[in-house]
Amino acid sequence: MALLEIKNLHASVAGKEILKGITLKLQPGEVHAIMGPNGTGKSTLSNVIAGREGYEVTKGEVYLDGQDVLAMAADERARAGIFLAFQYPVEIPGVTTSAFLKTALNAKRRAEGKPEIDAMDFLKLVKAKTAALGMPYDMIKRALNVGFSGGEKKRAEVLQMTMLEPRVAILDETDSGLDIDALKIVSEGVNSLRSPDRAFLVITHYQRLLYYIVHDHVHVLANGRVVASGGKELALELEAEGYAKYLDAAA
Amino acid sequence: MKPSLITTHPFGEAYAKSLGVAPWRGHLPGPKVEEWRFTPLRNLAKIAFAPAAINVSVDIIPRTVPVIQGAARLVLVNGAYRKDLSDANLGKGIELSHGKVPAKEGSSLIALNAAYAPASLALHVTGAVKKIIHIISIGAAEVAPAALHPRITITAETSSSVTLVESHVGLPGETYFSNPVASITVGEGASVRRYVSVDEDNEAFHLATSLVKVAGDGNYEAFHLGLGGALTRQEVRVALTGENANVRLNGAYALNGTSHHDITTVIDHLLPNCTSSQVFKGVVDGESHGVYQGRIHVARDAQKTDARQLHKALFLSRGPAIDCKPELEIYADDVQCAHGAATGEIDPNHLFYLAARGIDPETARDLLVEGFLADAVNEISDEAVRAVFGAAIGQWLKLRQARPS
Ligand SMILES: Nc1ncnc2c1ncn2[C@@H]1O[C@H](COP(=O)(O)OP(=O)(O)O)[C@@H](O)[C@H]1O
Ligand SMILES: [Mg+2]
Repeated sequence: MALLEIKNLHASVAGKEILKGITLKLQPGEVHAIMGPNGTGKSTLSNVIAGREGYEVTKGEVYLDGQDVLAMAADERARAGIFLAFQYPVEIPGVTTSAFLKTALNAKRRAEGKPEIDAMDFLKLVKAKTAALGMPYDMIKRALNVGFSGGEKKRAEVLQMTMLEPRVAILDETDSGLDIDALKIVSEGVNSLRSPDRAFLVITHYQRLLYYIVHDHVHVLANGRVVASGGKELALELEAEGYAKYLDAAA
Repeated sequence: MKPSLITTHPFGEAYAKSLGVAPWRGHLPGPKVEEWRFTPLRNLAKIAFAPAAINVSVDIIPRTVPVIQGAARLVLVNGAYRKDLSDANLGKGIELSHGKVPAKEGSSLIALNAAYAPASLALHVTGAVKKIIHIISIGAAEVAPAALHPRITITAETSSSVTLVESHVGLPGETYFSNPVASITVGEGASVRRYVSVDEDNEAFHLATSLVKVAGDGNYEAFHLGLGGALTRQEVRVALTGENANVRLNGAYALNGTSHHDITTVIDHLLPNCTSSQVFKGVVDGESHGVYQGRIHVARDAQKTDARQLHKALFLSRGPAIDCKPELEIYADDVQCAHGAATGEIDPNHLFYLAARGIDPETARDLLVEGFLADAVNEISDEAVRAVFGAAIGQWLKLRQARPS
């Protein structure tokens, strides 16, 4: 069974159809890249999978390990193992990163029938994970994303991912706004999480992330549809030739 | 303007006579008194409160009173000092006495307090006091509605410093009306930190007045937490009477049900180079009502004044009401004054972000509410008290959840 299965997904925002029939299958262990020009529905797809309100699914299904994802509330989806690294993480004043991480981690542990994490173990874990991502440990004392630079926000997203160890991680343009060093660190974060029972959906606008993240499949999204799928060579072709040919085809 | 008064005040004048004190001259302020416009006292005036008994048997401190490690503890029950419940080992630089209550002056509530307060809990601070002084005022009405009038006097001499915590709580039983008055004098270069928590019984009334004077180079930092009571008001009047005096007045409140909480502040900048800053934040749920009135008065001589004031409220539902009234009266020309006020609801984008990390909606809301209040709570400069007050807010949120709504 596919780990994440998206079947003929149609979704509208404010009465306007954005996703026009998307079908994707992510097997355990796979990394899929989704590329496409701006405004084609990449973020819409990730938001619909994560359960954001305001999107109306008009047709189609999404399954996580056979479970009906669309029937679950957003928080249930996350506890079931879906993780979305946001393209634009929100700033939440007053809530420290550490309180947030602990609450999120404990929500997951509770769902798994485990006790809450001990305070010392939590600090140790954060120390190890921040160090691996080249982040100062002190950042967990700051309010969540508040005053973080674009790059810091993206790293914070990856930190959350490595702490929560999801089953399916969707990274929505996590590479945008990162310099090469940060890009490498973020990619290492993803590569380190790669495992036979986890899958990734890596959304990106640029080929360059795919130099660092080892990926198996590439899909081109244009005008709410998957217009091409292939292997690594497709990403290289897109880099050389651009999206023009697919845009014409999708229009 | 002539104050309008509720003339059928609940304290029989005959009773006052029988005590040998002059009958209480004032009455409760009515709805036409501008400062009380948002806090009507109709419900208070309906109840026939008897003066609270001094000798009630109370042998434990209620569990709602936070434990502050290493603090000295001074306990008042119905306004009277209770040695048996206190741990008055205050350490160096401070002395406790039980003074006479000053003559009846000021507002009608102060006059009422003066008429009935058993004695004033007086602290005379002469040095740098290490221990936190925790004053606990317990209201215990027993079988009939009762009124209590705690009186606290703090005098901090030149260059002395002290940190005080005040917890106002009640015992289960009949409703009570607490009318505490605190007079605080901060001497030259002295520093007083005062952290007040009002967590009265659900049915109780609490109308507190604080009168603060800060001399030159003196610092007064206060925090007023409002978590419980049917009708509560924390009125704080601060006069900056010397140059380079500073006051930081902050607070937070969390209301549900039909409770009403009023923060009224008056800051008088009388001389040059003084600063005042205020950060108040509140969350309101149910059918509750929050009030913030902040008056800043800058006298003509008070050049180079820096006065700031902020009030923000978060609505957890559509039922509550907020009244916010900032007033700036500025007679000096070289001053910096800023005030801000805002109300809002929880941002759905914040909720979704937390949901996307597996946090259920209730927990997410609590986290966001605590985060909202944190701006104010983080103004508490004493780390231990900051933790204790933060925990009290966390507890409030938990209890709120436990109640079916
Ligand atoms: N919340 C929204 N309200 C209105 N329009 C939206 C909303 N979200 C997305 N859209 C529209 O949907 C289309 C796809 O957007 P998006 O999914 O963000 O594209 P991408 O991530 O590929 O750049 C755009 O035309 C965008 O304007
Ligand atoms: Mg996007």
